[in-house]
Amino acid sequence: MPPKAVAEVTIDIDPATYETQNVHAIYDTIASHFSSTRYKPWPIIAKFLSRIPDGWIGLDSGTGNGKYLSLDRDGKTWMVGLDRSINLLKFAQNAGDKAREVVLGNVLDHCWRTHAFDFAISIATIHHLATPSRRVLAVQRLLQAVSPKNGRVLIYVWAIEQDELSKRIIPQGERNETRTGQDVVVPWVLSKSNIAQNPKSPRDSREEVYNRYYHIFAKGELSALVSQAAAGLGLTIGSVVGQPSSTQGVEILQDGWERSNYYVELRRWSI
Amino acid sequence: MVRLVTHNLLACHAKDCNTNNFPLVFQNVQLEIREAEFNPGFIQSFLPKIEWNALVKTAQELGDTSLPIDQPEMIDDELLKNLHHVLFEIHIVEGAMICPNCKHNYPISDGIPNMLLAEHEIA
Repeated sequence: MPPKAVAEVTIDIDPATYETQNVHAIYDTIASHFSSTRYKPWPIIAKFLSRIPDGWIGLDSGTGNGKYLSLDRDGKTWMVGLDRSINLLKFAQNAGDKAREVVLGNVLDHCWRTHAFDFAISIATIHHLATPSRRVLAVQRLLQAVSPKNGRVLIYVWAIEQDELSKRIIPQGERNETRTGQDVVVPWVLSKSNIAQNPKSPRDSREEVYNRYYHIFAKGELSALVSQAAAGLGLTIGSVVGQPSSTQGVEILQDGWERSNYYVELRRWSI
Repeated sequence: MVRLVTHNLLACHAKDCNTNNFPLVFQNVQLEIREAEFNPGFIQSFLPKIEWNALVKTAQELGDTSLPIDQPEMIDDELLKNLHHVLFEIHIVEGAMICPNCKHNYPISDGIPNMLLAEHEIA
């Protein structure tokens, strides 16, 4: 497949409306085709899930077709999947040919008992939010979802540093210098055979192109986002060691890059 | 599918609805019982995180009275089996969940609960 061109965009309308049109509606349209291309877990995420203790329950916030819901260590752990696309959830509902728990909702909302989960993952989701403050809120929702004592969070977003195997071409420019990332649209080409499976799409053209919105993260931007989110909740950033009593905080256990994505692993602590 | 394991985690999040917003109350539900693999180890470690009173009340409302009102200290096989059935084998396929406080209605369709709010309802 030839590399696909990515185009810079400026968001000049209400961000919620923008996301509805340029993210949610598109995933609902391409769900079937998209799901057929999303089956292989990324190594960092598989490793994180393989180390989750027995009996822990997790939230997969932005579960998509639910491919991570199956990584439950043969039922020793358990996850519920949240997503904004009903059509993707129809796939997630039976991920790995087992009945899965899924909820239609927005990652900016908090539709849970606070701190009900032991862990939460947010994979390739926060980069679909159209403003910095919405991305901060999404991280805060994850921190609120997990236990304040030892809750774990893994966040994975699209990086400005692409590996050689990437199918994307990122627009050149100041991208290596920027710390604020870049707003772009990435085309999804739905071929005629895939359109035929989706009665809502037009059938007269050979293929349809859907431009999904992404915020491509700059180096260091994800950990800065986490710090801002934590500060907004009154949480200390850093290790629990040497902290005064009656404090709550978040430690960044890992901050790295894998296959065109940045990730952070977080641990909440209370003393 | 909405099973009671998920229901035990969900709370109303409508604007200004912060107290008495859990557990949501099932209404006009269509149930399906489907056997699931029994995993006593998981249930045992999951048990401390369950809101017991909410689980028992909701199970009773759905017609299952197998769980004791007070959370037992002794966990035996029978309890684990009953918990397994209540948490993992009762599927709510259609219906709604109503907030006990603000009465917001969260519909369930094809086993998927819709927790989305309209713009003006978001906190």
